[in-house]
Amino acid sequence: MISPIKIWRRQKEIRKILNKKGKIVVWTKIYTPGSDFKKYAPYPVVLVELENKEKIYGQLVDYEDSDLKTGKKVVSVLRKVRSSSEEGVIAYGVKFKPL
Amino acid sequence: MVGIVSYGFYVPKYRIKTEVIANVWGKNPEDVKKSLLIEEKAVAGIDEDSLTMAFESASSALSRVDVDRNKIKVVLFGSETHPYAVNPASTILAEFLGIEKNYLAYDTEFACKAATGALISAQGLIKSGYSDYALVTGSDKGMGKTHDVLEYTAASGAVSLLLGKDNLILEILDFESFSSDTPDFWRREGIRYPSHGGRFTGKPSYFYHIEEASKSLFKKTHLSAKDFSFAVFHMPNGKFPVQVANSLGFSPTQIKDSLTVNYLGNSYTASALMGLAAILEKAKPGNLIFLCSYGSGAGSDSFALRVTKNLFGKRRKEFKHVVEDKKYIDYPAYLKFMEII
Amino acid sequence: MNHLIGYHTTQFGELWDKSLFDLVEETISGVLKQTKLTNKQIDAVFFGNMLAGVLENNLHSTSKIAEILKVNIPIFRAEAACASGGAAFNLAKTYLEANSNKNVLVVGAEKMTDYSPEQTITALSAAASGEEQEAGLTFPGLYALMANFYLEKYHYTEENLAYVSVKNHFHGSLNSKAHFRRQITVKDVLSSPYVAFPLKVLDSSPISDGASAVILTNNRDLIKKQKNSVTVLASEVVTDTISLKERKQIDEILATKNVADIAFKNAKITRHDIDVAEVHDCFSIAEILAMEDLGFWKKGTGGQKIKEMSTMYGNGGSLIVNTSGGLKAAGHPVGATGIKQIGEIFLQLTGQAEKRQVRNAKYGLSHNVGGSGGTAVVTILAV
Repeated sequence: MISPIKIWRRQKEIRKILNKKGKIVVWTKIYTPGSDFKKYAPYPVVLVELENKEKIYGQLVDYEDSDLKTGKKVVSVLRKVRSSSEEGVIAYGVKFKPL
Repeated sequence: MVGIVSYGFYVPKYRIKTEVIANVWGKNPEDVKKSLLIEEKAVAGIDEDSLTMAFESASSALSRVDVDRNKIKVVLFGSETHPYAVNPASTILAEFLGIEKNYLAYDTEFACKAATGALISAQGLIKSGYSDYALVTGSDKGMGKTHDVLEYTAASGAVSLLLGKDNLILEILDFESFSSDTPDFWRREGIRYPSHGGRFTGKPSYFYHIEEASKSLFKKTHLSAKDFSFAVFHMPNGKFPVQVANSLGFSPTQIKDSLTVNYLGNSYTASALMGLAAILEKAKPGNLIFLCSYGSGAGSDSFALRVTKNLFGKRRKEFKHVVEDKKYIDYPAYLKFMEII
Repeated sequence: MNHLIGYHTTQFGELWDKSLFDLVEETISGVLKQTKLTNKQIDAVFFGNMLAGVLENNLHSTSKIAEILKVNIPIFRAEAACASGGAAFNLAKTYLEANSNKNVLVVGAEKMTDYSPEQTITALSAAASGEEQEAGLTFPGLYALMANFYLEKYHYTEENLAYVSVKNHFHGSLNSKAHFRRQITVKDVLSSPYVAFPLKVLDSSPISDGASAVILTNNRDLIKKQKNSVTVLASEVVTDTISLKERKQIDEILATKNVADIAFKNAKITRHDIDVAEVHDCFSIAEILAMEDLGFWKKGTGGQKIKEMSTMYGNGGSLIVNTSGGLKAAGHPVGATGIKQIGEIFLQLTGQAEKRQVRNAKYGLSHNVGGSGGTAVVTILAV
């Protein structure tokens, strides 16, 4: 179960990087995930350089295969990022979608 | 005058066609489409829920207006698929939106009219002087039992409205509410899928409450159907809103632009508000809009709204074009996205 | 000077009937037997292990080892993800530098197959940054990012990567302790399913059980008595950011570059002197990057160089790489890997590498990486 306290600390950071635009630096697509990510698989993970040069990892959602390329413009969105138990707190975080 | 300063909507990218579901259960797709008037419905992704969609719609509502977020002292979140049974989604939404922290928040539940009820509370809080602005969101990741008629209709979507006193795009001229104990549709604690009373959801429920709430607003405002440029009703399927509009004296042209259910399905709390978002793409200054929601259990909130001259440029949002950005999914993907499998 | 006087490893593989400490016990008694030492002659133990705490709720393994060995001496555990073994060896060497006439046992072990792959993958990702974990990046995922970046930058394809696995599986077929003894073709690699694009199952090291041990000593009398002994010319550790994204280059492991420079300087030999090397090939891309970052190949040429297969046993090359089969074919019981690598070099330099014996091997290097490059250990041995 994810610690609710960790979630609480984290969300202040998450909101600073929502709705931010950037470009894909490099990408992969995960086929064999860890337990908390199993139901999302396969999923692409991208490393994005935001317009302010900050680099952020996130999954790419609502994508076509043709979006999986270096330089593709994306925007950060709020999504559920992992699911560890039905009883625990919900972990929301940053993912990206193609622009 | 209290009214709407800004609005935002969110429709997830995925669609499933009525015929895809019908074929799974050996139904003739044409029969289903004919009875429900739904071609396809919007489906949220596996990592989306009412909160993430609410955030998207609320961010959009706040994005193009110059409003100090700390002046939003009311955040209300209407849904029948809140992410938690206990733990407010309204505070999660406010946190991610950066609304600090001297605000009143609560989640509302009244089946599909949870957000319009919140709208009435919010306008009252502004009128009373408690807050300059209020954010009201209706968001649902609607789920129906497999091989139930709801499987064709229950859809995902969110609409947020920012209420205020000045610089309105839409004035709330008046409203009415009508309620009774009518258990036509329900979901008990810990149960995943809603149950419903079949045809009982029609005449004594949907039609009775909408008609009574509408008539009483007509009476109160001395307006009648012909005074409105547009009408929008809660849309559990494609037929009901057309029928209720007709019985209240609205013509097909007054309602046709609001019928998002035909191509997006019924996004529960967001359903009627989604119709409003579709109308606002076309509405002109001075137009009157009639809005009436329905929530099972049961009740209806009716509103008379007037479009102001501020609804233009950046404050008017593209609708049709935006919802055309879609991707079709098959039935197994649908089951996965809804976390049924 | 510190000398390595003995090496033992258990079989690597899916060892259903053995627990972590069964394996530890087996390899300890193996290495003691080989060096004809008794437990009372061991002055300290360093233990490399990553996952027992996360997977098995099993910490304080040092006292468990005291119980197994029936001793009451200093025992320490080193954890640096996949470089835990290399790190333990480095600590042992450093311990000897501070204490004369001592014999130190270094054990690396990991038990990984008691759990579902998802659980093990989750546990392994504990060695990635929080942000990487939250994005769902697995270890293959992090190396896949490096691979994709590298392939795109230098215009290579997945085929270039495949040769690493073909070579290492061939070597594994010659090593009776290897997890995989089966030879594979480029076509086999390319047709295996993706783990994390562009890396496939046959680009990846397996989840294995195993334990390995070496004995290090600076006791001159003992060294003289031993049949097999090699000199530790250098053992160095360098660390870097835990997050891949914080590094200047995605397709370079700077820690490897830096640690190799320091190790060669301290060993007072050059890259050309190395006859055999065990490099950290947790994924095919990792061996290519390692060969470049260690300074054996020029940056960006690795994709082409590997196709030439000069580092494969029997091809007459001047540097043979991963004769054990590497992590890919010998298996990758995380904590054991760094010790097995050093042990393989020991076997090569002492002429005990059987079917894969590289002739006249005088200098050997082992390279062990933790995480996506947050830790790198290089050890240089000589006879």
